[in-house]
Amino acid sequence: MESDEGDAGAPARAGASVQAVELTRRFGDHVALDAVSLQITAGESFALLGANGAGKTTFIRLVTGYLVPSSGEVRVDGISPVTDARAVNARVGFVAETSRLYSELGVRSFLRFAAGARGLRGEAARHAVARALGSFDLESVASRLIGHLSKGFQQRVSLAQAFLHDPSLLIVDEPTSGLDPAQQAEVRRLLRDVRGRRTVLLCTHDLGEARELTERVAVLHRGRQIALGPTAEVLGGADPLRLFRGEPEAAA
Amino acid sequence: MTPLVALVRKEVAILFGSPMAWLTLTGVALVTALLFFDHLRLYNQILFLYASTNMGGFETDTVPVYVNLRDQVFLPVMETLALTLIGLVPLVTMRVFAEERARGTDELLATTLLTPNQIVLGKFLATWLFVVLMLGLSFVYPATSVVRAGLGLPHLLAVYLGLFGLGIALASVGLACSAFTANQLLAAISAYAVAFVFYDFRWTASFAPEPVARFLDAISLHPRFGAFAEGLVRLGDMVYFAGYALVALALARFSLEQARVR
Repeated sequence: MESDEGDAGAPARAGASVQAVELTRRFGDHVALDAVSLQITAGESFALLGANGAGKTTFIRLVTGYLVPSSGEVRVDGISPVTDARAVNARVGFVAETSRLYSELGVRSFLRFAAGARGLRGEAARHAVARALGSFDLESVASRLIGHLSKGFQQRVSLAQAFLHDPSLLIVDEPTSGLDPAQQAEVRRLLRDVRGRRTVLLCTHDLGEARELTERVAVLHRGRQIALGPTAEVLGGADPLRLFRGEPEAAA
Repeated sequence: MTPLVALVRKEVAILFGSPMAWLTLTGVALVTALLFFDHLRLYNQILFLYASTNMGGFETDTVPVYVNLRDQVFLPVMETLALTLIGLVPLVTMRVFAEERARGTDELLATTLLTPNQIVLGKFLATWLFVVLMLGLSFVYPATSVVRAGLGLPHLLAVYLGLFGLGIALASVGLACSAFTANQLLAAISAYAVAFVFYDFRWTASFAPEPVARFLDAISLHPRFGAFAEGLVRLGDMVYFAGYALVALALARFSLEQARVR
């Protein structure tokens, strides 16, 4: 199960690659991520699975350069976010949990800001915002304040901002957390639509979401990587929930 | 739109989306008007007293030199306005960095093309713009002193340059305090503490050794503003206020870097 093979024989796909080598992050005495090594190939849909506090969010924060590793390294398309965060962020579209938006901004204003902050100017920015509003069905709420929208719409806004600059790596953190079933289905449909066209790193504790949206999965437990392989294989055992308790063998 | 311009526009939009900004602007306009008219009322009463005691009506020759619009109205209003800035500016700056941290949007900013330097600069620029607007609102009544008291436009501009420097220094201190916490209340309290401590160190003159007292006086905000209030524009005072802003910028930048490695 600890094999780390991507689609070696498959034709090259669009997207960025991610490589983590012995990636470790400590917060004081607490080891949030302990020597995690994995490779995500271009165009792959990859899930980081684990219970709350397993280290999933820490991993993606290291990939985006929001945090600096205590030891080990991570690279996106061979570029370290520690030394060149801008080059990495030019490739990354990041979808945080629903509440991480500017609730006092209107949807269009927020998207204009997000486009500008990603270096899009003039007509390119206007076109990207219009395309995002259309693609994520946000035209009807474009003038409304984000704080006045339902959680489902807020998550669409979050997804829309991540696509503005056509990123080659989409990082999605708990995309359906706190959403009702209909909203969850909607967000999953949006994520399903982008598979294969860019690399997707999905951070979730929802087994169904990982099965439905990803090709490979790594399971983290208390900061340690306890399983890595094709999603169907890793989550195919009789009791995949054992993975959340740090028992990989039973699920294999 | 460059990432920096986008950030400044976003900050300004959020600033004016908050009731605190409007309350602060209203507060400045109200305080300036009340202070101005109150001092004007007192000034008129003093003049009336002189006129009454002479029984023959108003005679300007009998009015002491120090009873004039400049000393009785304009300068006291400007002094109090400077103190008002200490009370109001931290209310605006407290949320700038702290709120981003508290709601997690700092992570969103970190995944854009904005560098940490640009994030700090963008937030400072937006806040400084707000300070300029705040002072602009307070300009109306003091400007009448130029017309009525023959104060002279250069003097008025010197005072406003001093207020601007003071406002920038206070805003910068407030922003640096906000950058070190996710708690807005803590950011405001620490900004108040720093501002009040640094406002005037002259009280230490009675017990501190002379070199120490001189040094403390040199780093106090009030004497620097006092020079502008007297109509003196000195390069050293402007460098002093700019120094405050630069130290605060550096501290805020340091806090962002610390957050990555903490």
